[in-house]
Amino acid sequence: MLDRDRHLVEAARRDPAQFDALYRKYLAQVYAYAIYELADHHAAEDATERTFLRALAALPRFREQAHPEDGPDASTFRVWLFRIARNVVANERRSRRRRPAESLELALGAGLAIPDGTDLEAAAVTRDEAAGALRALQALPDDRRRALTLRFVDEMSTAEIAGVLGRSEGAVRVLIHRALGAVARELGHDRGSVS
Amino acid sequence: MTVPRPPGRDADQVDALVADRYLDALLAAGDRHADDAPADAALDPALRDAARTLRRSLVRVHPSFRFEERLAARLADLAAAQAQPALAAAGGGALVPFPAASRVGLPRRDPHAGAADPLLDAVLRGDLDPSDEAAVDRAAAVPVDRRPLIVGGTVITSAAISIVGVAIMAWRASRPTGRSGAGVMGRAARSAHARSAPARRVAALAGLDLLGPA
Repeated sequence: MLDRDRHLVEAARRDPAQFDALYRKYLAQVYAYAIYELADHHAAEDATERTFLRALAALPRFREQAHPEDGPDASTFRVWLFRIARNVVANERRSRRRRPAESLELALGAGLAIPDGTDLEAAAVTRDEAAGALRALQALPDDRRRALTLRFVDEMSTAEIAGVLGRSEGAVRVLIHRALGAVARELGHDRGSVS
Repeated sequence: MTVPRPPGRDADQVDALVADRYLDALLAAGDRHADDAPADAALDPALRDAARTLRRSLVRVHPSFRFEERLAARLADLAAAQAQPALAAAGGGALVPFPAASRVGLPRRDPHAGAADPLLDAVLRGDLDPSDEAAVDRAAAVPVDRRPLIVGGTVITSAAISIVGVAIMAWRASRPTGRSGAGVMGRAARSAHARSAPARRVAALAGLDLLGPA
């Protein structure tokens, strides 16, 4: 089997109501991508809605393009879905350009995944660290921020990100490497300003 | 094992490859609830720290259950319309061709439902590939197909108007003195009936074009 979602995609093609399984599987990933990109809960919901409606509408024309070398976890459906999401989000970002940028930290509710049982001091450090990371991410140029979001939040491989962004794998590796360098410098500045 | 590093531009590629391998290992470690993974000795420690910080901080957030179920219902409506075009057209009879039925077949389930997608019709018709960046940019840059409708003697066009909305507008337009409807659509309908200049401003706010005589 070349594409891990092949059975779900074929079922949805036979009966569009079966698209629900693909929707449930990828909802959180698409929504997370949208909110990291747009830093706005309502805009992220709108973008998620448009992405899935367009995907369902275009599903009859989706073509699986996985290759054996992509490995058993490859999903060209996920790459295709995220290409749709990228286009929806890019249009939304363009239309919102005149508005002041929202804080990603606020958009995410400052929840920032503090695990249960963490003591208050450690939680504060974790929260500060996460807030710094979000600021560093938000300060990146669009292509670098997008690549890091897909890599860390959606846990995509470099090959999948290359498919989503329409670049070569080598170009995506370099993009992520440079983005990490920028984040490292930003976090270093943060730490320097604290001490 | 350390990756040998050639000079020049290739060195960037090798550094990027080293970082990429570490990220693969770091993300896989997360599945085992480990917070780090072995790294190539050549990996810059600052990059490794930054990657670990991002790994801990960039959490995947979930949408609300309410949103999830609302969108599931809208997808189910669209799926039903795709599976049975005849059912989708039943409400509007022959007046509503199948692609347009997607617009009237996706009712607003609550006032916080998302904005209508002006490109969805083109995707349904097969005229637009939503995964094609250039095609979507072009489509988003031009006005979508606007079909004229006659309400209260004035021609109204809108990309997102529904048959139900037209019916409400027509009803309100027939009652120009009524004051109960305070919504934008109601104001637009009454204004269209009066064919006054302010009507055009109000209708513009509602996303409508009034093409009737000034």
